Amino acid sequence: MKTFNQKIAITCIAVAVMTFSLVAAPNFANAKDIVKVAFIGPLTGGVSANGIGGRNSAELAVKVRNEDPAAKYTYEFVGMDDECKPNVGVQVATKIASDKRIVGAVAHYCSAVALSAVKIYHRFGLPVIVWGAVHPDVTYGNKFNEIFRVNGTMINQNETAAKFMTSNGYKKFVIINDTTDYGKAHKEYFSKFIVENGGEIIESFGVTADQQDFTAELTKIKKLDPEVIYFGGLTPVGVRIRSQMNKLGINAQFEGTSGLKSDAYIEGLGDLSEGTLSFIEGAPLEKLPGGEFFSSEYTKVGYDQAAESYGPFAYAAMNLLLDTIEEKGPNRKAVVKALNAPAEYDSIIGKIDFDDHGQNTVAAISKYVVQDGKWVLWEDSEYASGKRSLKK
Amino acid sequence: MSTNTTNSLSGVLCSFAFAGVITALMTAIFIVESQLLIAGVLLGTIGAIVISSKFGVTSIILKSLGENENLSNALAVLVTLALIVIFYDDHYVLFILCTILLYSVTVLGLNIQLGYAGLINFSGAAFFGVGGYTAAVLSQYHSIPPILTLVIGGIIAAIVGSILLLPILRTSGHYSALVTLAFALLFKVFLDVNDSLGGAQGVDVGSFTLFGWDFGNDITIGSYDVSFYVPYVLASLVMLCVVFFFVRRIERSWIGLCLDSVRIDEVSSSCFGINIVRWKIVAFTIGNFVAGLSGALYASILGYISPANFSFGDSLMFLSILLLGGIGNLWGTIIATAIVVVLPEKFQVIQEYRLFIYSTLVLLMIVYRPVGLLPRKTRTYRPGESS
Repeated sequence: MKTFNQKIAITCIAVAVMTFSLVAAPNFANAKDIVKVAFIGPLTGGVSANGIGGRNSAELAVKVRNEDPAAKYTYEFVGMDDECKPNVGVQVATKIASDKRIVGAVAHYCSAVALSAVKIYHRFGLPVIVWGAVHPDVTYGNKFNEIFRVNGTMINQNETAAKFMTSNGYKKFVIINDTTDYGKAHKEYFSKFIVENGGEIIESFGVTADQQDFTAELTKIKKLDPEVIYFGGLTPVGVRIRSQMNKLGINAQFEGTSGLKSDAYIEGLGDLSEGTLSFIEGAPLEKLPGGEFFSSEYTKVGYDQAAESYGPFAYAAMNLLLDTIEEKGPNRKAVVKALNAPAEYDSIIGKIDFDDHGQNTVAAISKYVVQDGKWVLWEDSEYASGKRSLKK
Repeated sequence: MSTNTTNSLSGVLCSFAFAGVITALMTAIFIVESQLLIAGVLLGTIGAIVISSKFGVTSIILKSLGENENLSNALAVLVTLALIVIFYDDHYVLFILCTILLYSVTVLGLNIQLGYAGLINFSGAAFFGVGGYTAAVLSQYHSIPPILTLVIGGIIAAIVGSILLLPILRTSGHYSALVTLAFALLFKVFLDVNDSLGGAQGVDVGSFTLFGWDFGNDITIGSYDVSFYVPYVLASLVMLCVVFFFVRRIERSWIGLCLDSVRIDEVSSSCFGINIVRWKIVAFTIGNFVAGLSGALYASILGYISPANFSFGDSLMFLSILLLGGIGNLWGTIIATAIVVVLPEKFQVIQEYRLFIYSTLVLLMIVYRPVGLLPRKTRTYRPGESS
């Protein structure tokens, strides 16, 4: 028995010494001028392409800053995977928020994850700039000072849409929306902004997402004789409505949301698609103020994966965070306070101006119109130049 | 007799030493952050296990732990408490501890189903989710005490599970597994389209309040700021202890004997007068109740749940924990849960490659140790008797 016990004792002591030496080791490795900033996004799973694009873009901002000799601090980039799942999101959010060395974060592509994590950031006072999640409640569902967002929401999309339509002289609108969260939210915000801008919603119709026949709704709409039919929903239903409008001889302007802007819409309708309008968050890279700079830097580093449409937002968010840290020092409270102060920032996605909920109010929204079988940016189209005109 | 007492004395010392080593190891794993150190600790652990099993130390440890069962159980609780004390203000580690404890509870539930009665359940996460959503709904009514919320979560999960009983009892083997698989998919679709439960975006779960004390607030004891997760970890620990005790009792009683018999051979069991249908119902319902119980607490800790948390993939994860730990072995379950929860988290440092390395490790495990970490031994007719 003795030999057995000796063996055990020796093994136990050896393992204990080993583990304790490992425990002690990291405490020696802290340099003074290193500031940690974090990024969270879906790096694995179905939407990982967007997550990795965002991660690369945010990391790029840190790399560019670290090469700048004028920077006061060396920044250490911490990238985290939320898998687009709220429970994993809460884990990583807790991890970075409770790590006192991390001063700020650029986080979340998925709305559900962002909604679950904002409470944690608020609790720990970590300033977070959202780079991709679009649900309005991420910023508007709470009064947390710590949460900011550079990209637009459904609200911004509809605000732009409503302003655009009313300024083009349209007054009478009919709304058709599918009865999902997406469609319902679009209906709500579009109605709100149309009324604010002096337009009128004559009637609205809810349809299911797989409805085939819209004769009943469209016959009523024909009697109402609106100038515009607004559709909040996705392409398949949009195609059916537009073609049945034609059969019933309704000659109103057809307008969709971000869910309508796809090539499938044009393929499904052919010439009928001409003149349809759509509004979507973000802008093509080459149209962004700093798009050229961003894409040249991005290719210089040589990432394997594309930045995707929200990459520039992640870059801009990280850059804004780094700017604020440079100015106010690596202190969470100071960063939160600075970002809450009214100010306008220049970024590669254009001006950034947060409202009292931390939402960027000048978020880039692009207007598109179908012209000769292609979605064309409104500003570049023959409709804007006056060569062609929308239906009146 | 004298050799027996020295045996148990050295066994006691050995158990204590082992508990110390585990505490140190867990502490080290939670603390290390850099890629190099994580790799070092993991390789060191694997190396230590390999070396110690070469020299027969592993079997001595297992034997001494097995000899003093009450002591071993107490030591496990002690190790958890020690970890709570060490990380009293580290929210992240405490949250991970909660996750380990509650996932363990759920897998213990699955253990009754698959390990004892032989009913494979591909919708563990769905029943976990039923508990979670019950807590979400109940948290809107502040007057309901937390413990009641948990129990109701479990009961609702058991009731929902009883819908599945008829098809499961009508089918057998692979087909009843398919029934549960279908339910797992159905459950997620149901949540996705159900607006009153938050739809695909998910729903808030209010934090626990007990006598006006909000579980969501940090606690100050003397000059120490204790994380708000500490009460949650303690609650999870209590839940695990209760469920563990309960499952162990079931295993060792005549109920366990009947369940084992149903699993091994249905025909001869019914020849001996064992009511197969009854025991399948009992096992399935208890298992779902336990999953719902832990789901309710987990959701309250999380504070926000969405259908993505309770997908078919999560059900598979629960089952893989069971397989990794050794089907039917309760301690194996807990150790496997710790591995499955902690490893992917530690691999966050390698970002998008983390699940790849993690799956490779699990695969290696299955290839080289297909029976699981701690396979369940053949039971003795009455526990304590030598077979």
